[in-house]
Amino acid sequence: MKMEDMSLLGLDNTKLEALAQDIYSDLVEDSCLGLCFEVHRAVKQGYFFLDDTDQESMKDFEIVDQPGVDIFGQVYNQWKNKECVCPNCNRSIAASRFAPHLEKCLGMGRNSSRIANRRIASSNNVNNKSESDQEDNDDVNDNDWSYGSEKKAKKRKSDKNPNSPRRSKSLKHKNVLE
Amino acid sequence: MSKDSKMRATINQKLTEMGERERLKELLRAKLTECGWRDQLKANCKDVIKEKGLEHVTVEDLVVEITPKGRVLVPDSVKKELLQRIRAFLAQHAT
Repeated sequence: MKMEDMSLLGLDNTKLEALAQDIYSDLVEDSCLGLCFEVHRAVKQGYFFLDDTDQESMKDFEIVDQPGVDIFGQVYNQWKNKECVCPNCNRSIAASRFAPHLEKCLGMGRNSSRIANRRIASSNNVNNKSESDQEDNDDVNDNDWSYGSEKKAKKRKSDKNPNSPRRSKSLKHKNVLE
Repeated sequence: MSKDSKMRATINQKLTEMGERERLKELLRAKLTECGWRDQLKANCKDVIKEKGLEHVTVEDLVVEITPKGRVLVPDSVKKELLQRIRAFLAQHAT
């Protein structure tokens, strides 16, 4: 017996190989048995042949592989170039832009109220700015709190949501540091 | 001989206890599904069922017909991969 062939547990390489083969064999048999049990249950419970249909029906639902058409055979971009007439403003709008346009046009939807609120706020700004110019020059020059700086801040955040209660992070930090 | 069988029993126990047996089972199942082995054998099952009749077919009927075919139909690549993993486990835990 060669020393290299002996493992500590006393099984040499040929025996280890035989063991590996046996383990593999067991695993394969497990899979086969599992399959048989599954099939047998399906047969007895009546769902084994459920996905079989006659040849004709199979042809009806075959996967379609043509250009310009999806796998069900439906044309999927036929609404791309169509235009719709808006019932509100009577303009002709492209189909893919129609829903957002309607939202704004009818004044419904989340964004319309925000835009409207902003418009109100900025029209207030226009009124108030002329007042503060006349009364308090100090207030206008004071950058910490004036309507002018607020306008700038709003413009910066205009992409997000100027109406939510959340204040910008930088302002918060500014207070803490001071 | 019994020393050998003791060793084998120990290794088999380790294989189960460490969860490796389950992992190997899952791996084998996945590979066999991927390569279409299951579908092939299911088709064979259909033949057996048609032969014996839906009402009367037993598990035994299926096992006797399917298992030998199943063993033979395992693709070589799958067999190699499984054996590799088993050998690796043995190398780690039987030496």
